[in-house]
Amino acid sequence: MMTQSKPGLSARAKAEIDEWLKKYPADQRRSAVIPALHIAQDENGGWLTTELMNEVGDYLQIPHVAVYEVATFYSMYELKPVGRHKISVCTNISCMLADSDGIVRCLKDRLGIEFNETTPDGKFTLKEVECLGACVTAPVMLVDKTYHEKLTPEKVDHILSELE
Amino acid sequence: MSQFLEKIKSFTLWELLVGMKLTGRYLFSKKVTIQFPEESTPTSPRFRGLHALRRYPNGEERCIACKLCEAVCPALAITIEAAPRADNSRRTTVYEIDLFKCIYCGFCEESCPVDSIVETTLKNYHFTQRGQNIMNKQELLAIGDEFEQDIARDKADDAAFR
Amino acid sequence: MKIEIEIDGKSFEVEPGKMIIEVADAAGIVIPRFCYHKKLSVAANCRMCLVDVEKSRKPLPACATPVTPGMVVRTRSKLALDAQKAVMEFLLINHPLDCPICDQGGQCELQDIALGYGSDNSRYDQGKRSVKDKNLGPLIETEMTRCIHCTRCVRFGREIAGISEMGSIGRGEDTEIGTYVEKSLTSELSANIIDLCPVGALTNKPFRYRARAWELTQHSGVSPHDCVGSNLHIHTRRNAVMRVVPKENEGINETWISDRDRFSCEGLSSPERVTSPQLKRHGQWETVDWQTALQTVVEALQDVTEHHSADRIGGIISPNATVEELFLFQKLLRGMGCHNIDHRITQTDFHYQQAMPTYPKLPVSIADIEQQELIVVIGGNTQHEQPLIHHRIRKAWDNGAKVIMINPVDFEFNFTPTQTLLVENRRLPEALTGVTRCLAESQQDTEIAKDLLQSVAVTPAHREVADALLSAKAPLILLGAGAQNHPQAGLMYALAERMAQLSNGNVGLLTAGANAAGAWLVGAVPHRGPTGLNVSKPALDVQRMWESELPAYVLFNVEPEHDCANSAKALKALSQAALVICLTSYKTPAMEQYADIILPIASFAETPGTFINVEGRWQSFQAAVIPKGESRPGWKVLRVLGNLLSLDGFNYVVNTEVTDELRSLATTNTPEQPAGPWRYPSHLPTVSEGVERFCYWPIYRSDSVVRHSQPLQKTPLSETPVVTMSPQLAQRLGLEAGTEVKVSQGGDAVVLQVCISHRMVGDTVGIAAGFLETAGLAESFGTVKIERI
Repeated sequence: MMTQSKPGLSARAKAEIDEWLKKYPADQRRSAVIPALHIAQDENGGWLTTELMNEVGDYLQIPHVAVYEVATFYSMYELKPVGRHKISVCTNISCMLADSDGIVRCLKDRLGIEFNETTPDGKFTLKEVECLGACVTAPVMLVDKTYHEKLTPEKVDHILSELE
Repeated sequence: MSQFLEKIKSFTLWELLVGMKLTGRYLFSKKVTIQFPEESTPTSPRFRGLHALRRYPNGEERCIACKLCEAVCPALAITIEAAPRADNSRRTTVYEIDLFKCIYCGFCEESCPVDSIVETTLKNYHFTQRGQNIMNKQELLAIGDEFEQDIARDKADDAAFR
Repeated sequence: MKIEIEIDGKSFEVEPGKMIIEVADAAGIVIPRFCYHKKLSVAANCRMCLVDVEKSRKPLPACATPVTPGMVVRTRSKLALDAQKAVMEFLLINHPLDCPICDQGGQCELQDIALGYGSDNSRYDQGKRSVKDKNLGPLIETEMTRCIHCTRCVRFGREIAGISEMGSIGRGEDTEIGTYVEKSLTSELSANIIDLCPVGALTNKPFRYRARAWELTQHSGVSPHDCVGSNLHIHTRRNAVMRVVPKENEGINETWISDRDRFSCEGLSSPERVTSPQLKRHGQWETVDWQTALQTVVEALQDVTEHHSADRIGGIISPNATVEELFLFQKLLRGMGCHNIDHRITQTDFHYQQAMPTYPKLPVSIADIEQQELIVVIGGNTQHEQPLIHHRIRKAWDNGAKVIMINPVDFEFNFTPTQTLLVENRRLPEALTGVTRCLAESQQDTEIAKDLLQSVAVTPAHREVADALLSAKAPLILLGAGAQNHPQAGLMYALAERMAQLSNGNVGLLTAGANAAGAWLVGAVPHRGPTGLNVSKPALDVQRMWESELPAYVLFNVEPEHDCANSAKALKALSQAALVICLTSYKTPAMEQYADIILPIASFAETPGTFINVEGRWQSFQAAVIPKGESRPGWKVLRVLGNLLSLDGFNYVVNTEVTDELRSLATTNTPEQPAGPWRYPSHLPTVSEGVERFCYWPIYRSDSVVRHSQPLQKTPLSETPVVTMSPQLAQRLGLEAGTEVKVSQGGDAVVLQVCISHRMVGDTVGIAAGFLETAGLAESFGTVKIERI
């Protein structure tokens, strides 16, 4: 069977992965799977296709299923298309005590979607996540790669309106 | 003295009268015999008679071919062959009970996890030909279909004691 | 240095580094477990083996706690039992209560342990989770809701099969064991996960719902498909083989068997089985009784001896036949005065047959393969030819051994060999000569085969192999099917021996079939009688038999169109023969054409017998079921034929008398001879130009039982008849994948599809044997012409 040239990982992405690979012993390329998946996901509009994961596996010389295991384990990896902005709201205990429920309600009302859904215009995806590690400033949400802390419904409205 | 009494008893046919007294008592007491087959004795809901295979109300056969009845049968009277059905469910292809081997112990019914094989209260049946003693799946299901209401009622009656 | 520990009040002296569970298992102390398996790495994720260890605050998993001096372990204290019962309760939370419809019911580790450690009812009153079933192919049925995530199957793939195909997908409540993308498992050992699975999540698909564990009768058996001789448990019910599972034998197959060994039994009930003796009368097949059939055979054979002579009969027997069958077959034919007997049906070169040892035997035991420092495989796709020997080679590689492959095809292996020397099939002898020359020059021992060595130029790849051979203490050189079937097999064997001499190594043959060693020992070869005694009268080897177009052939469990090298020659010889007697278990369409008499013989699991495996181990077994229909065990048919032909010494009552006779012959006759002496030509034979065929038997086309097993034929490893070539060759010939081409060889031609593979090298094209579609080619390793239709 011929190996076909696959779409997906660009030369730039591979160079970035190579940077990460330098940080680990040469015989442990597997170690770079998490950053490699982030790089692949960022390049593909925020989500991972099976082909991309296969390509990461091939590039790191690890079995494909080892990549799937990592990608399905962490909630930071998306396996279905997402909106331009991914909003991850923490609903763990600290945030819950600081009324994350109100934040969630506000987000759902404002966006008109439930968890794990994307707005019809493809702008937002709403996700419920476990502790984001910022309990001291609860309630917290993560929009793309930015933390928004000490949220109030007004603040949420403001953040959403700022986003393109 | 006792000899004298013996003589009197002997001459007056005393023993006969004592015997006739018993006869007379039964002559006038309530009759226990019945006119079979026009009449029949009452049976317990636990009576272990002819076997049947039951269905669910939607018509699906209950038996899932787990073969526990076959395994538990002390007389080795049950023979089962199983295979996946077209819908991929586990079903029997052969379910036979040899009524000559069966000792009507009821273990099959006890072991059945889905209340499929049951012993009905039917006790009046006969075979006219060799081979009829082996009940196949169709026959067992047919009995189940015919007497489902009775079986369900008996099960419900007995449920409180199980 | 040993340390002392105490388990349940008993003291043990143990090696440091052992886990508690290993010590307990060896002492017969039962500790419940699900994820621990002695052949797999420790995962400690089921927590079922928690035990009470003194001075530990918490119960510790016995599978992952190494022993320490003075350790006191209690496996049945209140703490341990409470912990185990609590774990059991958690495990049962999501496990469905579907034992009645579960095939594992009655043989289930979870069921057994739940009986001992479970509660009679559950405190969990919420919804149980359910998981979508995965499709893992035609061999393994899944019911993933039953999975308890022990990850034995995942670890098996990683550690034993060498192909990671299953993994734990998702996390927490959503964890599922699966392949993520739907795919059939491709490992040739994949079905061992059925045995590993402690619950009913992975079950045997062909066996599905057909029988319960308690209905089955267990018989011991030996695999008839490769020279490993894997030990089997054959499970039967009402005189039918229901399934085959491994029988543990640490020295041979450990706890594994290949899928071929496990699922070939599905071929036993094939409708193509011959179940009664048949005669061809006026071109029509008639079913007859044994009496008539045997009488006809006897008369026909006597007729041939009278009109021609006994040495105009060709006797060809499968290397999968038992020792008894092979012995009686040669005894029968030799009794009639015919020495044309051969079992080497896949081979094409025989000129070295005098140099063969009494019988081929590995220089090390199968178990010792994993201890080797360097293994060189010449012409072998070991992973498909002898899966469990390959497993040992992989283990050696895993232990740090170097593995070098010298092959005409870059076979896909479940590990990356240290070095792969790829050459066109016809240039294999050249490559070996190059390596030998390097070795000879390094050892300054160039006298033997001087001219031959001088005729070849050394390449860096040759040098690399030679250096590896010289740096290893005692390298093991294995000759696979590709080397033994090669038209220059003798030269390659001689060169391998020379390489071994020069590097202080050993040579082993990975022989074809289950019993090639037995065949050699009983004298199922034209030039030697039982126990290697030479036969003075010249006789024909299997290829000469085809070429001589004899008037009569006796075929024992051989389908020449599928099983023999140079199949078209065989078919031509058979079609012109006046008499072809087939003792066979299956009838093929081609056989209906060429055969005149078909005698049905018992197949795998139906006959008692003995196999001698590749390490020279005699393994006898009993029949597990009565042969199908009117079939009879082959050795009995041969015995009766011997009696009917009034030959001496055919009055056996049981099959063991045959092996006893052979054993006593072996002790009285000459001792076992090693291989050699070797003669080396002065130069390499000239290499033909153009596209050449490389013939191989795909894993699931290796013998008739396997070919008739439908589940195996549906697996991804099962091949279709194609002509496989490198992209470069395809480009040169202007062909694309899927093109139908005419492959011709002299007057013979077959039509095949093109398959393009970067694993092929040079002008070698792979055309498999074992298919009717490819049987029309007369040269298994000759040049072919490929034309677009």
